Amino acid sequence: MLTRKLFRTARAYKAQFISMIVMVALGVGVFLGFNMEWYSIERNTGSFFEETKLADYRLYSEAGFSRADLDALLAVDGIDAATRMLSVNVSIQDSEQSLSLNVSEDYTVSTMLVTDGAPYDPEADGLWLSDRFAGANGISIGDELTLAYRGFKITAPVLGLAKSGEQLICVGDSTQVMPDYSKFGFAYLTPKKYRAAILLDFYPQINLRSPLSKEALEAAAAKALGRTIMVVPKEDTTSYGEAMGESKEGKAMGGILPVLFLAIALLAMTTTMHRITANEKRQIGTLKALGFKDRRILRHYASYGFVIGLIGTALGIALGYGICYIIMNPNGMMGTYFDMPRWELAMPGFCWGVLALIVGFMTLISVLSVRKMLSGTAAEALQPYVPRKMRRIALERTPLWKRLQFGTRWNLRDVLRHKSRSAMTLIGIVGCMLLLVGGLGMRDTLNGFLRLIDEDVSNYVTMVSLAENSDADGAMALADALDADWDAASGISVNGKTVMLEIVDNGRDKYRFVDADNAVTPLSDEGAYVCMRLAKDIRVGDTVTFSPYGSSDTYSVKVIGVLRSVMTENLVMSRACAERVGVPYSITTLYTDVPASELPDSSLIASAQSHAAIMETYDSFTQIMDLMIALLIVAAVVLGVVVLYNLGLMSYIERSRELATLKVLGFRDRQIGRLLISQNAWLTVVGVLLGIPAGALTLKLLIDKLAGEYELKMFIGPVTYIVSIVLTFGVSLFVGIIVARKNRKIDMVEALKGVD
Amino acid sequence: MPIVEFKDVTRVYTSGDHELKALDGVNLSLDEGKFIVVLGPSGAGKSTLLNLLGGLDNPTSGKILVNGQDISGYSSDTLADYRASTVGFVFQFYNLIPTLTVYENVALVKQICADALDPEDMIARVGLSDHLEQFPAELSGGEQQRVSIARALAKNPKILLCDEPTGALDSQTGVVVLKLLLSMARDFGKTIVIVTHNQNIARMADVVVRVKNGRIVSCESQAHPLSAEEVDW
Repeated sequence: MLTRKLFRTARAYKAQFISMIVMVALGVGVFLGFNMEWYSIERNTGSFFEETKLADYRLYSEAGFSRADLDALLAVDGIDAATRMLSVNVSIQDSEQSLSLNVSEDYTVSTMLVTDGAPYDPEADGLWLSDRFAGANGISIGDELTLAYRGFKITAPVLGLAKSGEQLICVGDSTQVMPDYSKFGFAYLTPKKYRAAILLDFYPQINLRSPLSKEALEAAAAKALGRTIMVVPKEDTTSYGEAMGESKEGKAMGGILPVLFLAIALLAMTTTMHRITANEKRQIGTLKALGFKDRRILRHYASYGFVIGLIGTALGIALGYGICYIIMNPNGMMGTYFDMPRWELAMPGFCWGVLALIVGFMTLISVLSVRKMLSGTAAEALQPYVPRKMRRIALERTPLWKRLQFGTRWNLRDVLRHKSRSAMTLIGIVGCMLLLVGGLGMRDTLNGFLRLIDEDVSNYVTMVSLAENSDADGAMALADALDADWDAASGISVNGKTVMLEIVDNGRDKYRFVDADNAVTPLSDEGAYVCMRLAKDIRVGDTVTFSPYGSSDTYSVKVIGVLRSVMTENLVMSRACAERVGVPYSITTLYTDVPASELPDSSLIASAQSHAAIMETYDSFTQIMDLMIALLIVAAVVLGVVVLYNLGLMSYIERSRELATLKVLGFRDRQIGRLLISQNAWLTVVGVLLGIPAGALTLKLLIDKLAGEYELKMFIGPVTYIVSIVLTFGVSLFVGIIVARKNRKIDMVEALKGVD
Repeated sequence: MPIVEFKDVTRVYTSGDHELKALDGVNLSLDEGKFIVVLGPSGAGKSTLLNLLGGLDNPTSGKILVNGQDISGYSSDTLADYRASTVGFVFQFYNLIPTLTVYENVALVKQICADALDPEDMIARVGLSDHLEQFPAELSGGEQQRVSIARALAKNPKILLCDEPTGALDSQTGVVVLKLLLSMARDFGKTIVIVTHNQNIARMADVVVRVKNGRIVSCESQAHPLSAEEVDW
């Protein structure tokens, strides 16, 4: 029988029940969406990495590794598998496309997953091409490609299509943010074909799998090879590092926003359940008077919270899967970033615990609300619920009070009389405002970051990537011929961390650097600059010691400034400074105003990208961001509408007797409506004022959490403030009008019956 | 000249397939300045009659003329204006606004009535000048009803409508409130209609209207109404 009562009560309070379910669903949905995202990334990339035997470490030697070197390493205890590798960027002849060309001698590490065509055969006379690159450029199995590498031409047919864990995020170099398969892909060439083409056994890289720590491996490798070798762990590679970075971002987002949603859902549940049980006090007393035991009544009302929690959680799981799917599907947001075969959505185990806790909390809130109403004898329980008595507020003792309109006084006292309801309304508005300011502010911040790259850092028309190990004089001559700035980027180890060393000659003002305030800063020859991430450990004035990849030499340089790096963690110095320090370098990139089509035919040039084309690669990145922000805005508006409607309705029900009295006295519906809306409007003003700093703080928190990935400068544009304020007021006004319209339906006769 | 005329007024409440005739072809004429008591058992239709006269409800058919104007077809806004200007209500459960003080509860009517009387003066007349700044919850039932009377009369209405005004009070307080209600209504020359099932109150009335099953059973004038002191409470 009591179950029937549950359903009928749910029908009677359907607006409250539905809004609580929506809030729980929203909270759970956002919580699961973000947490499933990072977990699914870890799971899917993890299994893909395993399947294609992603190397744990890469060893580099400019002179190349011999077969004996490999055997020496394989003899080391703790090295499970190793292969000599070649992994270089090459251009495809007669096209604007380029490829990461890979040759794995033993094919025991860093393998690929063939998705179409012939299975991999080291003896075959051809190559396996990235299936997405092939798709984007209309290349089919059987087509022949001619690749240009160090003056050699390698012509080979496409034998199959593939994906590879090493190429999960297939970008040409660290300056490219997003893959662009119409321009860049990867290929695996057989060692046989490679040897036949360049007539050499040149492998400058060894990829290996080992559970050893980086330090242990470095020591073991040095011992086995008789020389110090630069060891790069997978964490420092784009594919693995960025994938884990995405997962970390997901964890950061999953740790901040859902907490807010869930907290609001729990608070709203507390207020609403208290109101429902207060309204039901007579019925609770009646059940008690009829002889129902307290425990039974408690159980009945506990079932309200339980059912709301259960339905909300179930819908939230569906919503979470939906949100996660939008991000994690081959054609979705992450699909433009990752190239992997499986996109299975998975929920981390701890989420089940959190979900159980949420349902538990909902039930507990119900129990606590009803326990208050049950206390005392049956006769006491039968007494109607009496809200706390009015107390004078401090403002009433000031002369200002007398000058306030009656409506203002009424609303002020009502707000203070129903503190929890008002506080919840405020939290709803602050939450809505916070999400809008935070979300749109994130967009402003990232757009500002891209603008910085586009307008301040990149003052060139074309970025020319030079072939690896191109000769120094030739490169310098080419730079002069093209009136170009140049950059010699290479990996170095600083305090055991792998970072980028950029030696730069930017006297022609094509490639610039900015400081922490985003002001363009000329490079001084007096010392080196660290990026903001490195500046956490290395201070200006410190002397930093580093050693380049593949070398046991160490160099020291004084740090004279901090720069904002728009890309990887880096140490930057001018050419003059580098020459003074004595660090060897080889030019990798030229920045020139000569258009790509007018570049001279030079074997030094590996590829060229126009400034516009580079900025285009950010498009999908901004699209992903815009979609995330859109999701957030929808969530903020839904949250605002649901919280405000729920509370507005409660306020209306609680005040229906007062409103009926006003009607009887002769107040028109519009006057009463204005009274109700003005209370909402006042709370909205306060909520907006609190929401702006709260949003900025949340944004700061998010940027701090992402500080390990990006050196973002927080920026919130005026449009963001205007849109957030207008939307929040819009939501508040919209809900206010809907609730105020109900006032017309008040039955004066009914509302005035019964005891006050 | 009658101030109120009911012409063949019927009010039917519909609930699903059920129809309940709360008033069934009521014809009634009430003169200005009189003290009228509407008597009847529970469910007789007396509150419906009061609600229709007060503009809280519309009749299903028939006409209600107040001051010669038919209010039965008024829109919601016109009815609100009518309630603001023509009638004052006193309820069994006072219906004061809990978040407004005594003074504010009475001064409230200034928001809607152009010719409202001075709130402080009205409160003084009901003897609550010392309680101006108190909230309803801080007053006794009798005091709250006195505030409600002050509020009703502050609107300076033509007709004062009272629904069981002493129903929630003990008999002693009830008499005090009733006396105050009558003396003030007379001082201001108001027509006063009290709905009750208390026969004693009827003995003080100029006119007694008896209602049963939604119909007027009788409408009698009393030549010599008793004063409150004369009634055996």
